[in-house]
Amino acid sequence: MNTPEFSVVVTLGDDPDAMTATAESALGQSLRSVEVVLVGDRTDADVRRTATLLTARHPDRVRVIDAPQEVRGAAALRNLGLDAAHGRHVLLLDSGERLHAHALRNLLQAARRTDADLVAGRWTRLAGPGGKQQGPPWQDALHARTRTVTDLAKAPELVARDALVSGFCLRRDAMDRHALRHAEDLARSEVHFGVRAALAARRITLVPNLIVTHRAPVDHGTDLHALLEASGRIGLQLARRDLTELRDARERAFVSDQLLPLARGFLRLPRGERAELAAQAHARLTAHIAPERWADLPPAERMCVTLLAAGEPDGVQAAAYALARPGTVVSPLVERDGRVDWSAAHPSDVSELGHQHRPFEALRLFNRLTRCTAEAGRLDLAGEIVLPLDKLPAATDVTVRLELRLRGGKKVFRLPVDEAVHHGERLGWRLRVDPALLPVRGMSERIWDTRIVLTAGGESALAEVFAEREVVGKGSRFPARPRLFGRFSADTWLPYATAGHHLALELQACRRPARTIRRLTTYVTHFRPTRKARQLRGTLRQKRDRLHSGSVKVRVYNRLLVKLPVRRRSVVFEAHMGKAYGDSPRAIHEELRARGLKVRSTWSHAASPTGFPDDARLVRRWSWRYLWALARAEFWVDNQGFPHALDKPAHTTYLQTWHGSAYKRMGFDETRVRMQNTPQRAKLQRAVDRFDHFLVRSEHDVRTLARAYRLPEKKLLPLGYPRNDRLVAARERDETEGRFPRPELAARLGIPDHQKTVLYAPTFRGTPKDGRAHQLRLDVRKFTERLGDGHVLLVRAHYMERAELPVCAPGTLLDVSGHHDVSELLCLADVLVTDYSSIMFDYALLDRPIVLFAPDLDAYAAERGSYFDLRERAPGPVVETEDELLRTLADLKRADTGHAERRRAFAAEFGAHDRGDSARAVVDALFARPARRNRT
Amino acid sequence: MTVATDPRERDIFLFSNTTDELGGVTAWMHQMARLFRTHGHRVHTLGVHPAELKLTLPEPLGYPMTALHPAHPTAPRRLTGPRRLRPAERRREAAHAADKQRAVDALSALFRAARPGGVVIVTQVWPMEWVRAADTTGLTVIGMSHESYAYTRACHRYRWIKQNYPHVDHWLTLTQEDADDWIADGMHNVGFMPNALAHLPEVPSPRTAKVVASIGRLHDQKGIDMLLDAWALVAPERPDWTLRIYGAGVEEADLRAQCTGLGLDGSVRWLGRTDDVPGALAGASVFVQSSRGEGFPLALMEAMASGVPCAAFDCAPGVREIVRDGEDGLLAPPGDSGALADRLLRLTGNPRLRDAMGVRARKNVQRFSEGEILRAWEELFGLLEL
Repeated sequence: MNTPEFSVVVTLGDDPDAMTATAESALGQSLRSVEVVLVGDRTDADVRRTATLLTARHPDRVRVIDAPQEVRGAAALRNLGLDAAHGRHVLLLDSGERLHAHALRNLLQAARRTDADLVAGRWTRLAGPGGKQQGPPWQDALHARTRTVTDLAKAPELVARDALVSGFCLRRDAMDRHALRHAEDLARSEVHFGVRAALAARRITLVPNLIVTHRAPVDHGTDLHALLEASGRIGLQLARRDLTELRDARERAFVSDQLLPLARGFLRLPRGERAELAAQAHARLTAHIAPERWADLPPAERMCVTLLAAGEPDGVQAAAYALARPGTVVSPLVERDGRVDWSAAHPSDVSELGHQHRPFEALRLFNRLTRCTAEAGRLDLAGEIVLPLDKLPAATDVTVRLELRLRGGKKVFRLPVDEAVHHGERLGWRLRVDPALLPVRGMSERIWDTRIVLTAGGESALAEVFAEREVVGKGSRFPARPRLFGRFSADTWLPYATAGHHLALELQACRRPARTIRRLTTYVTHFRPTRKARQLRGTLRQKRDRLHSGSVKVRVYNRLLVKLPVRRRSVVFEAHMGKAYGDSPRAIHEELRARGLKVRSTWSHAASPTGFPDDARLVRRWSWRYLWALARAEFWVDNQGFPHALDKPAHTTYLQTWHGSAYKRMGFDETRVRMQNTPQRAKLQRAVDRFDHFLVRSEHDVRTLARAYRLPEKKLLPLGYPRNDRLVAARERDETEGRFPRPELAARLGIPDHQKTVLYAPTFRGTPKDGRAHQLRLDVRKFTERLGDGHVLLVRAHYMERAELPVCAPGTLLDVSGHHDVSELLCLADVLVTDYSSIMFDYALLDRPIVLFAPDLDAYAAERGSYFDLRERAPGPVVETEDELLRTLADLKRADTGHAERRRAFAAEFGAHDRGDSARAVVDALFARPARRNRT
Repeated sequence: MTVATDPRERDIFLFSNTTDELGGVTAWMHQMARLFRTHGHRVHTLGVHPAELKLTLPEPLGYPMTALHPAHPTAPRRLTGPRRLRPAERRREAAHAADKQRAVDALSALFRAARPGGVVIVTQVWPMEWVRAADTTGLTVIGMSHESYAYTRACHRYRWIKQNYPHVDHWLTLTQEDADDWIADGMHNVGFMPNALAHLPEVPSPRTAKVVASIGRLHDQKGIDMLLDAWALVAPERPDWTLRIYGAGVEEADLRAQCTGLGLDGSVRWLGRTDDVPGALAGASVFVQSSRGEGFPLALMEAMASGVPCAAFDCAPGVREIVRDGEDGLLAPPGDSGALADRLLRLTGNPRLRDAMGVRARKNVQRFSEGEILRAWEELFGLLEL
């Protein structure tokens, strides 16, 4: 017989169907030169019979190896299979796992092309019931591109993570040369085998292809001992080869891949199993993994592992709750030297969680249910709430109530607890729920969520009721007494633990009348005519939605609405695509109002109209009213661009005020745009051609923006930015009257006079694809800890983004991203910190210090392109590290002395036309004249 | 399987959109047909229809060439709405369907006449519609895509590939990087095969003339506008150098206007379309390519074969595959005219660098020689038979 290219070794389990699926996935490969070696220990007759059937069907491709009596365990079986394999390459599968249809051909092609001993691809495993599959998250980085490695440091996951437990093939002669076999004394030998193979291979090729699917789901905790043992042996081997860095990485990965999921699982494990696992971990963990490996984890994660190593099942569970519900206080925190520790028993610094800064009404407390039984027609509940840092005001003033809240509704019942006992760091509560106090309607009010509310002095802290399955149990049903007619549809309350491990009550129908009524209602709401009616309603709704879709709107607007007659003296304003009421459009709007000019103003808003002016019509962006207003307006005023797809009506004059001078390349100068194809660029050109007037602040704008957007000179209005009038006025006031009293905004934000106001406003970095908040480049917590005494930090994320800020000491950090008008904030700030945002050009007008915090200046300038060298012309010190920034701010006077001259020159150059009367000049130029007939 | 084990006598069908269109893929098809034939295979070239703007092909061809339809066929569609009721429409669609069925039958007959172990290479995704409908028993079907993943992703061919290529035995992109992108997109029957360099000139360019050459259609995709922007930065520094732009196209007038606007008329020569590429390259010392999108650009390979070092936008995996940045040419971030100008200044300002890179380029580009590529194809045929 010819030597097959591949031997696929399959260990038989106890499920004949799973085994058949595995074998057939190997036999049905696009590569046909494959033999299948089935290895089993003759324990299961069914499996044995199925295996024989397979051999009968493919006599020259399938072999069955029967293990002798004394061979036991998966490792020994695999070794038997490896010994029996004939193919040039071998691949191991467990029963149930499947090969992707082209897997072996892809592996073989890579092996031949690169002459590698080991070729590895991706694998996935079942993620719980439902057949959904998933690979581990780190696989993406490892297998992003086809590559060949000879140095494991280039692909550390191969040994640091369990990458090679599946989905790879070995060249058989290399395997035999290195006598690579499974260690038969290890229960999880495959972990060890993969790493040994990686260490032995001369060349390893990684391919992005999916190789193995349907691996068994992980069950964290079933064999912690075996995993630790395998990992320990790998650690020894790595250390012997002087690969200590990889060993440390492996131990860290063990913490995040094995121990953290194990700890998370504590939320749903019953008490006995929890205790056993914790005891196991306590006994072995520190022997195999040094505590330094988890010392640098974030606090909640760190505490999970610390408590696991300490063998405290309830502590681990609480920490896991903190992981699942970030922001919840789960331990009695202890203060020590200005830092905050987890608890007296575990003095580990968790100040980073920021609980010490949370006011009483922002507290979320861990509240463990300890009792839930039905007695004499009532539900007896008891629980314990963690009280951190003496946050609770004197016990006498506190009212403790259980709140029952209708899921998906607004209805709430509040029941005062019968007993609340304050002992030390915990508050015990107890309550008998009398169904008479819950007059529900029945039927439509099925599920009620619970939580405890602690009220003191008009403020409330919340504690959702954490309920374990075994505490809630099954036998705690109690009779319900719904209101009059409800009794016919429901008669029993059933407490249960939700998927999120909280206590909820379900209203059920248990007795015959209610069950009959329910059945009848179910029939009426589900029988054929109602089903049809529902379908019809759905179709109609879809049709209606299609009529209101963006593409229909654009067509109707461009074909019909633009032909509507003009409404004289009507203006549509928009700032930052409707996200704010601010910037130059606002300044023009206010000037028009102040001069009492009769114009009909319409403001466009994106999501919410809060903060927009009362004296204007408000329309939601992209609504029909918005399109109508645009089509009939005599003037369009905005600072960024009305939707590109909308044509400008012939009667409309478009004033583009623009949103800032340019440092980075814009428009047709931008690399991204230059590489677009003709239709895409033509679309931008059409959008830009709609502008009739374009405001510029200096010659720099003419050279950069006007050129970048190909605007002819006659469209440029050298009148400066109306939004900056406020800044010029503020500077004049500073010079004559000084900085104090501060603008009224300071009082509204609660900023005392003695604190320096630092405004941090970084530039737009592009919307992240996963929709999550951006990571700020400045570590805000560090800033407030170092400078919080004398400074308050205002953070303004770009209007297209949002920032997620940590909890810091009160009065040190304010998120002003939602504030509509930036120029008000600029007037308030004593110093501006930014990177490449155009805000620096405006702020320079105030002649106050600017610090440019640009950790990635060179990379950014190279990637995005810039119009000038920032270091050379910067209006303030350019710093690249956080420490440098903090040092500069701490001693700003000294740092700034050398820069005042440059800053003034900068302001004069980039804001030459900003003289403080820009809004007046713009209104004079456009609106003060009597309305004229069609302009184009 | 005994027939197929002799690698020299395979029946190979090469199937493109058209039989003889003036364009890269069709030229590639005839190049490979010649190559396969000279190595003993029986080659048959196919097209959905003959082209209007024709490629100049040698006479006699030496292998059969068949067009399935006399002209561009209309795809049969399923009628919806009130159109279903119009007899004329129904007749027309039925005729289209019958047309297609006739072509498919003809194709099946050709395939049936082939010996086992034959290969059908479908160079573009459109003809795959016919191949999938035809009877390919006993043949291996190989699909191809002659453009980068990103370029396909942005147009309608992406959907076609996702529909048609999962079913073929194997399909090929131009580079490993493109193949990886497709794998990440969930296609696992994809590999790669670079294009072959057709011709290695006997004598490399002497690299003495102070000339930068650009060869390509004057079409938006080739980005000549960005080249002119870059040259506007180079020309003042290198007054004695000339930029020669070979090629013709729809954008010529606009580009010439731009050139005049930038004041470059003194240093830019517009030389129109050329059939003598080696001759044009022999008179140049530096080659520049400023494309917005490319597949596996032949022009770069030809320049390197002539020993002319290249400066190019790194716009596609194929470009990175051909030019090793800093070793046998210089790459600039796509769209960054300033960076391209910088690369041109480096190459024009330093004869030693130019010579070193030119010599290395001529040597390195031979890894795409016809012999090497043919060997890769034979290996692939062998692998697909296992």
